[in-house]
Amino acid sequence: MALTAERTEPISILQRERPLRPDLMLVLSFLALSAIGIVMVYTATAPALELAGADTATTMRRHAIFVMIGVAVFIVASLIDQRALLSLTPIAYLGSLVALFLVLTPLGTEFNGARRWVDIGPLPFQPSEFAKIAVVLALAALLGNGTAGKVRWDHIARAIVLVGLPAVLIFRQPDLGTMLVFGFVAVAMLFASGTTWRQLAFLVIAATVGAVGIFRAGALRTFQIQRLTAFLDPSEDLAASALYNQIQSEIAIGSGGFFGKGLGQGTQTNLSFVPEQESDFIFTAVGEQLGFIGGTIVIALFGVLVWRVLVAAVNGRDRFGQLVAVGVAGMLMFHVFVNIGMTMRLVPVTGLPLPFMSAGGTAFIAFSLALGMAHSVWMRRSPVPGE
Amino acid sequence: MTLAWRAGLMGMVFFALLAVLSLRMWQLQVAEGQEYAERAESNQVGFAPTPAPRGEIRDANGVLLAGTRPALAAVVDAKILSEEDEPQLVAQLSALLGLSVEEVQMFIDDVQARGDRVPIVSDLTDQEALFITEHGENFPGVEVEPQPIRTYPLGELASDIVGFIGLPQPADVEGGAEPTVLLGRAGLEKEYDSQLQGTPGQIVYRFDARRQGDVLSEDVPTPGNTLFLTIDTELQRVVEESLAEGLQLSRDLYEDPDCVPGSADDGGDPRCPVRAAGVVMDVTTGAVLAMASVPTYDPNIFIGGVSQAELDALPDGVFNNFAIQGEYAPASTYKAVTYFTAYEEGMPPYSATNLEEEILCSKELRLPFLGEGSQQVFRNWTGRDDGLQNIHRAFTRSCNVYFWEIAAQIWNEKQGTDDESILQDWARDFGFGEPTSIDLPFERKGLVPDRALFELWKEETPQRLDPARLSYASPWLGGDLMNAALGQGEVLVTPLQLANAYAAMVNGGSLWEPYVVDHIENLDGDVVADHEPTLLRSIDVSPQTVANFRRDMQQVVNDPAGTAYSAFEEFGDNVELVGGKTGTAEIIKETEEQEGVTTALFAAVAPVNQPRYVVVVVIERGGSGGRIAAPTARPILQYLLNGANAVTPIDAGEDAD
Repeated sequence: MALTAERTEPISILQRERPLRPDLMLVLSFLALSAIGIVMVYTATAPALELAGADTATTMRRHAIFVMIGVAVFIVASLIDQRALLSLTPIAYLGSLVALFLVLTPLGTEFNGARRWVDIGPLPFQPSEFAKIAVVLALAALLGNGTAGKVRWDHIARAIVLVGLPAVLIFRQPDLGTMLVFGFVAVAMLFASGTTWRQLAFLVIAATVGAVGIFRAGALRTFQIQRLTAFLDPSEDLAASALYNQIQSEIAIGSGGFFGKGLGQGTQTNLSFVPEQESDFIFTAVGEQLGFIGGTIVIALFGVLVWRVLVAAVNGRDRFGQLVAVGVAGMLMFHVFVNIGMTMRLVPVTGLPLPFMSAGGTAFIAFSLALGMAHSVWMRRSPVPGE
Repeated sequence: MTLAWRAGLMGMVFFALLAVLSLRMWQLQVAEGQEYAERAESNQVGFAPTPAPRGEIRDANGVLLAGTRPALAAVVDAKILSEEDEPQLVAQLSALLGLSVEEVQMFIDDVQARGDRVPIVSDLTDQEALFITEHGENFPGVEVEPQPIRTYPLGELASDIVGFIGLPQPADVEGGAEPTVLLGRAGLEKEYDSQLQGTPGQIVYRFDARRQGDVLSEDVPTPGNTLFLTIDTELQRVVEESLAEGLQLSRDLYEDPDCVPGSADDGGDPRCPVRAAGVVMDVTTGAVLAMASVPTYDPNIFIGGVSQAELDALPDGVFNNFAIQGEYAPASTYKAVTYFTAYEEGMPPYSATNLEEEILCSKELRLPFLGEGSQQVFRNWTGRDDGLQNIHRAFTRSCNVYFWEIAAQIWNEKQGTDDESILQDWARDFGFGEPTSIDLPFERKGLVPDRALFELWKEETPQRLDPARLSYASPWLGGDLMNAALGQGEVLVTPLQLANAYAAMVNGGSLWEPYVVDHIENLDGDVVADHEPTLLRSIDVSPQTVANFRRDMQQVVNDPAGTAYSAFEEFGDNVELVGGKTGTAEIIKETEEQEGVTTALFAAVAPVNQPRYVVVVVIERGGSGGRIAAPTARPILQYLLNGANAVTPIDAGEDAD
C-alpha cells in the first residue's frame, strides 16, 4: 500500500520542486542597461552642474540610489509567486485609482504644466507609473480567468472599463503618453489572450478613433498640441516651437556618427543644447557620445530584455502569469520605441521615459517591479512549455 | 492559435519596431552623419566682431582733430531678440534712455531688418550701463559692450575737412560695407576711410543653448592709421573766425541783420547773405593750410545719435564744404585769366595796339560788331568814366571796359577759327572746369563755357539756354565771350579752384594738386604713406607776365586807387607784401526799385615778391569784393605775415568791384 500511499501523495507538476533558476540573460541585460544609464546621466548633467558650481555627481548619485532600490525591488518581485500577486491585484488596482485621484487634489504638484506628482513623504511620487503595472495585473486577472484560447466580447467590454477608469483620471492630469501605453498594453494582452482578427481590428480602430477624438475635442493642453503640430509641420520658428527639443536631439544623435564623440565629448548634450537630456532624452546622450555602435548595443539590450520576457510568457505556469509577462513585454516595448523614436524625430514628443536609463526614481522602480514580476513568471515556469 | 504562437507573432512585430529604430539611427549617424556633425558645430560656435578704434586725425603740428575713447555701448542683437520680447524691450529702452517709443521701435525694426548687432546707444552713462547689466532680464537681446567711440575734441573747428562718421547707407552695404560698422560719411573720414578703419577683431565663443559661453579665441582689433594734415589748426581758427565775422558784417550791413537765407518759397530771404568759404594754400606745394565753410557743424552730434529735429534746426547746406562744393561766378577775380591770356596771346584791347597803351575806362562800352542777340552796351561798375588806363591800372581799378575790350579783340580776330577759345583754354590750363583732385570727397568741377558747350546744350538740354538763342546758327554769341572774360555768365569756379589758379599764376606756372593729408602713420609711428607734392601741369608763362601780375596785384591792395586799398588801410606792417584781386558777382540784377545782390570774392597772395600763400575768400550774397571779401581776408593775411597778435577786427571796406 505504500505504493498507493505514495501515489496518493503525487508530486504535482504544479508544485515547485526544483530550485528557482533566474534568467541570466534577462538579469544581465537589466543590469547592463542600468549601468549605462548611470554613466549617461552623469555625462548629461555634469557640465551644467559644474557651470553652477555644484558637485558634478549630484544627479548621478541620486539616480544611482534609485537604481539600487530598483534592483532590490526587482529581486523581491522575482521571488513573489504570481498567485500571491493575483491576490494582491484588486488592492493594487484600487490603490492606483486612489493615488491617481490624489494627484488631482491639492496634494498633487504641478511640474512643466502637467500634474503628475504626489508629495508623499520625502520624495515626490508619480502614481501613473505604478498605474501601468496595476492595469497589467488587472487585465491579466480578467483575461486569465477561464478564457483559454478565446476572448468573448464581454471580456473586451470589461477590459475597456478596467483601462478606462485610470485612463480618465490620467487624462485629467493630462498624460497622453501613459494613456497610449494603456491602449497598447491592452491590445497586446487581448491579442495574446486569443482575440479573433475581427476583434483585433475593432480594438485597433477603437483606439485610433479614441486618440483622434481626444485631439479633436480640444482636451489636450497647448503644449501637447504644439508638440504634435510641430512634429507634423516643422516649418515653424525652431527655437520658439516645441520642435526645438527634437531638432536639437536629432542633430546631437546625427553628429555622433558611427563611433560617437566619446564620453563627455558630446558638444550638444554636454553644452545643454538638448533639454531634458538626463530624463526623457537620455538616448540622445547615448547616440551622440557612443555613436551608432553604442546606440545599437542599447537597442539590442532592450531586444534581449523583451525577448526574454516574451519567452517567460510562453513558459508561464498559469494563464495569469503568462498574461502579466505579455503585458510587461508590451509596456517595455512601447516605451522603448516611442522614447527612442522621439529622440530621432520618428514620433512626436509624448513624455515617456526610457526604461532603466532615464533619470527619475518612480519610473525606474516601477519598471524594475514590472520586470521582476515577469522574471518571477520565468523562475516558476512550467517544466512542459505551453503547459 | 496558442499563446506561444501569438507571443511569437508579437515578438516579430517588436523586432520590426526595434529594426526601424536602428535603421533611423543608421540614417542619422552614418548616412547623413557628416551634415549633422556640421550642424552641431555651427550650433555651438559664435563669432562677435569687435570694432577697431578708428585712426586719429591730427593737424600739421600734431594737434588732435579726431580721436577715439573707450565707451560702453548698448548693443541690440537681432539674433537673440525674439519678436515676443520686442514690446517689453522697446518700453524699457525708451524709459531708460528718455527716447520716444516710436523712435526706439523704428530703431529696433531697422536692426531686425538688418538681422545684426547695432549699438542703440554707443555712449552709455555708468548708471545706464549698470542698470541694463543688473536688469538683464528686462532687456532681452541687449548687451552692454565696451566699444571705442569717435571724438572730435575741437568740435566745429575744421569739421568740413575732418568730416564725420555714421552707419553705412544701403548703397554702401550693397558695395560690400559691413552694415554695422561705422564708416566715414564726409570729409577725410570718408576719403581715407580705409586707412582710418583699422582691422576689426573677432571673438570666437563656444556657447550652449542658454548662450552661456566661454571665449575660445580672440583676435585683437588693430586700430586705424593716423592722418597728419597740412592744416594748421591755429591758422584754421583764424580763417573760420574771419569768415564768420565777415558773414556777420555783411548781414549787419543788410537791412535785416537777423534775416534767414533761402529762397522766398521756403520762407527765406534770397537777399540775405548765406555763407562764407575760404582757402589758404601753399603756392609752392599745393598743400592746403586752412579751408573752411561757415556756418558749419560739430561732428560730435553724430556720435550717439542725432534726432531729425536737431538736424532740421541746422542751417541749410551746413554739412557741405563750400570751399570745394560751392560753385560761384568768379567775377572780377577771373580777370586774372583774361590778363594772362592778353599777355601770353598778345591780345590788346580792341581800341589799343598794345597792353601798355592807355584807353579810356568809360562808363559804358558799345560794341556794335558783336552780332545779333548779344548785348550791345556794357556798363562799368563805377557808373562814370574812370580815366585813361593801361592793363596795370585797369587791373588795379578792376576796369570792366578794359577787359571787355580784350574779349572784343579776341572775338573780332578769332571768332569761328580753331583758337577762338584761347581765353577758355587758358582758364582750363589754370585748372578751371575740372576737379583739382584734392583728397576730399564731393568736389565740384565748376564750368568754363565755350561754343562747344553751348552747342552741346542746344542739342541735349535746350532748356538751359535762353530760348532766343536757339534760333541763331550758333547759340554761342559775342556777348557770352564778353561775360566769360569777366567771370560772369555761365562761368563757375570753386573757391579752391580759384586759389589753385592764383597759386599757379604767382608761382610762375606750376599748377599743383591741392592736398590736405601730409602723411599717414601706423600705430607704431611708422610712416605708411607720405604725400609728395604733385604737379598737375607746368604752364608755360613768361616770367615778365608773372612779375607784372604780382606787381599789379600788389597795387590793388597798396595803391590808394586800388579796389582793396581801403580794406587794407589798417593792416599794419608788411602790407606792401600783400597782393590781391577783388570780385563782385551779380546774383540778382539791380533794378530801378532795388539794389542787386552780389557775392563777394577776394583772392590774395603773400608775400607778393616771393609768393608763399594764396588766400581766397567768398561771401555768398555778402556784397562787393572791396567792401566785404577783402576785409574778411585781411585778418588771415595779418596772421600769416605778422602773427596772431597782429590780427585786428574786420571793418567794411570801400564798396568796390
